[in-house]
Amino acid sequence: MSVIYGIGFASPWLLVALLALPIIWFLLRAIPPAPKRQLFPAVTLLLGLGDKETQVDRTPWWLLLLRLLALAAVILGLAGPVLNPARAIDSPKPLLLVVDASWAGAAHWSETRTQLQSLLQDAARANRPVALLSLTDPTPLQFQPADVQARLLAGVVPQPWQPSTEMLSAATRHVTEAQQGFDTLWISDGLSFVDDREARRDFIAALRDRGAVEVLQNQHEVVGLLPAAFEDGAIVLQATRANPGPASAHQLQALGLDPGGQERILASVAFQFEAGATTAETRLSLPAELRARISRFALADVRSAGAIALSDDRLRRREVALISSQAGNEGLALLSPLHYLREALAPSADLLEGTLANLLPAKPDVIVLADVAHLPAAQEEALVNWIVDGGLLLRFAGPRLAASDTARDREEPLMPVRLRIGGRSIGGAMSWGDPKTLAPFAEGSPFYKLEIPDEVTVRSQVVAQPDPELANRVIAELADGTPLVTRKDLGQGQIVLFHVTANAEWSSLPLSGLFVDMLERLAVSSAAKAPEATELDGTIWQPVDVLDGFGRLRDAGTQPGVAGPALIEAAAGPDLWPGLYQSGKRSLARNVLPVGSTLQPAIWPQDIPVRAFEASPERPLGGLFLSMALILMALDVAASLLVSGLWSPAKAAKGTAAVVLAGLLLHPNPAPAQTAAELAGELRLAYVLTGDASVDATAEAGLRGLSDVLRYRTSVEPAAPFGVDLERDELALFPILYWPMTAQQPMPSAEAYGRLNTYLANGGMIFFDTRDSDLSVTGSTSPAARRLQQIALALDIPPLEIVPRDHVLTRAFYLLQDFPGRHLRGPVWVEAIATEAETVEGLPFRQLNDGVTPVVIGGNDWAAAWAVDASGAPMYPVGRGYGGERQRELARRFGVNLVMHVLTGNYKSDQVHVPALLDRLGQ
Amino acid sequence: MSPDTPPRAASREAALRGPGGQLRLRAEEAASPLPPLLVQAEQLAGAVLLGDHGRRRSGMGDDFWQYRPVQPGDSRRMIDHRRSARGDQQFVREREWQIAQTVHFWTDRGASMRFASSDHLPTKADRARLLALATAILMVRGGERVGLTGGLLPPRRGNIQILRMAESWTKDDDTPYAPPEHRALIPHARALCISDFLGPMQELETALAKSADRGVRGVLLQVLDPSEEAFPFAGRTRFESVTGELAHETLKARGLRDRYLDRLAERRDALDHLCRETGWQLGLHHTEQSAQAGLLWLHGALGRRAGHAT
Repeated sequence: MSVIYGIGFASPWLLVALLALPIIWFLLRAIPPAPKRQLFPAVTLLLGLGDKETQVDRTPWWLLLLRLLALAAVILGLAGPVLNPARAIDSPKPLLLVVDASWAGAAHWSETRTQLQSLLQDAARANRPVALLSLTDPTPLQFQPADVQARLLAGVVPQPWQPSTEMLSAATRHVTEAQQGFDTLWISDGLSFVDDREARRDFIAALRDRGAVEVLQNQHEVVGLLPAAFEDGAIVLQATRANPGPASAHQLQALGLDPGGQERILASVAFQFEAGATTAETRLSLPAELRARISRFALADVRSAGAIALSDDRLRRREVALISSQAGNEGLALLSPLHYLREALAPSADLLEGTLANLLPAKPDVIVLADVAHLPAAQEEALVNWIVDGGLLLRFAGPRLAASDTARDREEPLMPVRLRIGGRSIGGAMSWGDPKTLAPFAEGSPFYKLEIPDEVTVRSQVVAQPDPELANRVIAELADGTPLVTRKDLGQGQIVLFHVTANAEWSSLPLSGLFVDMLERLAVSSAAKAPEATELDGTIWQPVDVLDGFGRLRDAGTQPGVAGPALIEAAAGPDLWPGLYQSGKRSLARNVLPVGSTLQPAIWPQDIPVRAFEASPERPLGGLFLSMALILMALDVAASLLVSGLWSPAKAAKGTAAVVLAGLLLHPNPAPAQTAAELAGELRLAYVLTGDASVDATAEAGLRGLSDVLRYRTSVEPAAPFGVDLERDELALFPILYWPMTAQQPMPSAEAYGRLNTYLANGGMIFFDTRDSDLSVTGSTSPAARRLQQIALALDIPPLEIVPRDHVLTRAFYLLQDFPGRHLRGPVWVEAIATEAETVEGLPFRQLNDGVTPVVIGGNDWAAAWAVDASGAPMYPVGRGYGGERQRELARRFGVNLVMHVLTGNYKSDQVHVPALLDRLGQ
Repeated sequence: MSPDTPPRAASREAALRGPGGQLRLRAEEAASPLPPLLVQAEQLAGAVLLGDHGRRRSGMGDDFWQYRPVQPGDSRRMIDHRRSARGDQQFVREREWQIAQTVHFWTDRGASMRFASSDHLPTKADRARLLALATAILMVRGGERVGLTGGLLPPRRGNIQILRMAESWTKDDDTPYAPPEHRALIPHARALCISDFLGPMQELETALAKSADRGVRGVLLQVLDPSEEAFPFAGRTRFESVTGELAHETLKARGLRDRYLDRLAERRDALDHLCRETGWQLGLHHTEQSAQAGLLWLHGALGRRAGHAT
């Protein structure tokens, strides 16, 4: 490839054709533009008139230039120009492309990919076989033609971890196993990813054994986000970067679900790396409610798994239901068994109060029963089911529990232990001894290592019955070894019993800070500290959502679970994807960067050349030149026409305007669609667009005719009828939908059905007209009726009957017994009377559904009978002679009755009571 | 055919339905607002056909002129008994000598007339026929005899003549520039020639000279398309006559404009000169103008007394 001023040519010899341009210049000059033919009878007067000027004899110079430019563009375009052609590596050896492919490069992965593509293109031009080696996912080297590799390039994606020692040694193995020698180009993210230098050195040495090594390094700053911590009421977020460069500012976002379930940015805070610093810290103080919603923190401008800090339980807000036996008692607040719980939990949990029966369906995370001895059997069963599904039941003892016979003889499902009768009191006026203090929490207890304040004393408690299971179930005890807190697992949930009251009556525990800490440890309220690896020993954590290299969360699918300690300590890798893990009720976030990690810049041996990414990747310009040539040729056409007088800009503008105008006129809907607000402004009848133009036109004309009749005869003054597209239009604006059936009617979509059913349920009426009662009885098999059956299958249509003689439809405005349309005797079906509804004596018609039937089905083709043209004359003949006119009149009366029925509901049936009402009023 | 015989309704409808009927319909529409035109008799002597024109002398006519005593040789039937009964003398009732004027029509049916520069304009031929026929209708209403030059349609009275004229004008001629027809002109009649007069002048001169020799006076109406008057052309153009026989190619049409307009003016001067020599009148009509304007002018020109014209 020869390179001229940064532009290389694939086939430079084609440029020789440019030499032909001057010849073409002379050739083109000799050919004047073709004349325009003009009919002109007065040509007799022109005969013999010569031209005075002759310069247009030849093509104008600018037109020539235009043509030559077009030609030159074609030649240049075909010569295959390439902007910034990659510097050729002249070695004929195969090429190995090593890619870090870690999260650190994800933020600028598109650049890396462009770089890879241009390298592959270059290799393809040089016919060098290429192998790709991704260090985060090392595979044996396969040298293949570069264009084959280019197709595989999409599979190379950054992983949410960094190459580990094992991955590097695997890569080293693959390199040493390769059969031939090759040159290496290492595309690095700029991080030194392995702590022990050994593996890295070995890998580089293996590469150098095979051939030259060159490094292309991404020059962008690599920023990582450390897991969020919760300190002193604020979320502390730390970011780290590899190079202590100049000061740089970043934006940090807290993302989570809003109350509507949409993920959005809940908070945003700016922070800055000071010049020369590698870490930056910022604090985010949020209300607990908002904090609990946060699912992750992310750097706004960095698209990388390292720039994501997932949050877990520690920021979540739990729902706690408080239930006390004394609910509703007008006791003193400080004596209420729930007062201290409320105080302790309110800052960090959502509290629900009420009766168990009401609260259980709300599925709270925790239910607290304060001094509740007995539950109704049904509630007990429901509660057990809730616990089995993962609920936490927290019980407190109290006088009622102590006095009851609950869990005396046998272990109850809702009590962790059996209780001895009566309980005990210590240190009171009537007893020996001092109030007892708490013993330090044993290892294995959830309260392990909580500090016990000295002032916490216990004066009374219920006492557990000794039992083989008891020792396992005690998680806190008094200094004398009496169990104070016991726990039992039930299904996925657990039951915890505090053997003291939830108020300060029996002990001072609820008054101390320890009480709050214990509730946190029990996951009643959200905790603030990350668990230790040892704490998770023996647990298996199931991934729920995992991060990919770009920091996108995706469903973990069937990935295997991870042991608890590994989740905390092991490095992220294919066996441990960063993401959100769950074990029982607890969830834990595993981030790419663990707490306290730092980023190390890559250090390369002195003699390996390190280059930055090419600023501008190579770009083939052939297409650009060719399209330029096309544009120039189009201009040439216009210019040639202009020169020959066949076309003038003014005429063209006129023509264009005409075309545009014609386009506008031909457009089926030139007027902007009526907005819902306009439609809602006035009452109007509506018909369903069937897609059959003539049926739609008839329906429109029919409803127009009916609207006119209504306007002349009644106080209903409808606006122009509206054609409803079931898929798009809002139905709620129309009291009645006239739906003419055709056999070719398309089925409405699922959404349309949903809207139709809502419309029917909310008092709308659909008037189906199969328009075929001259051919068949409605409901029997005519094509339109069959279609109606198919369409109506998914509609909520009640049982139907033929209009009974006492139906309100027969007397809503006119007294009618027949409902003719264009056809005479088709039956009309309306909603059937409910079987239990009885005819009330003295009431001429029945009370149904506010008197309005949701559907009317018939086949008399009413729209055709109502239809009028623009001048108000009927469009279709009805019947014969005066009898026909009478029939049309009856059809109109039916229409009036129908609309009246829809608009007034059971008002008409109520009218029969008017004499009775007046009577009662004493008039 | 008797002048009072109305055309039968059936034939009238048939005529209206044909191509000539359309033309006639439009012509009648154009003619209806105008008062009947009575062509001034140029010469009292001459043809002796009865008409509505009083010759201010006793003769054969419908209108009363005078009573005169019976002279020997008068037949007894001529005695007006109502007048004679008043006295002893017998009187003869004399009627005014009435005569009809004859108008010959010629419209150019050559190909050059079938031209309109735009879809919105009528062709010159259309306009020429319309004007001619409108004028003919006016003439017939005034009791004149109308006909075509040449022997094809001798002058006659009556509406049927209008139909015949309209019919003959629906036929086109393929001659590029048709020369005026001057044969079979009735001496001392009047003539109306409508054309664009873009053809050779020679034949026109001959025709006018011959008619002047026979004492025929008349009107030349030049009908032109607006583009022939304005010459709105530019660029390299090949101008062709309607039949394509004549062509002129120019590289710069705009440069020709002034010289073309000069030539057009020259042609008009020549026509004017010719008319003045032969006692004819020259009119100019553009197809973009309303036909009414042209008809008004023709009405005036043909109605003018011969004394004014010469």
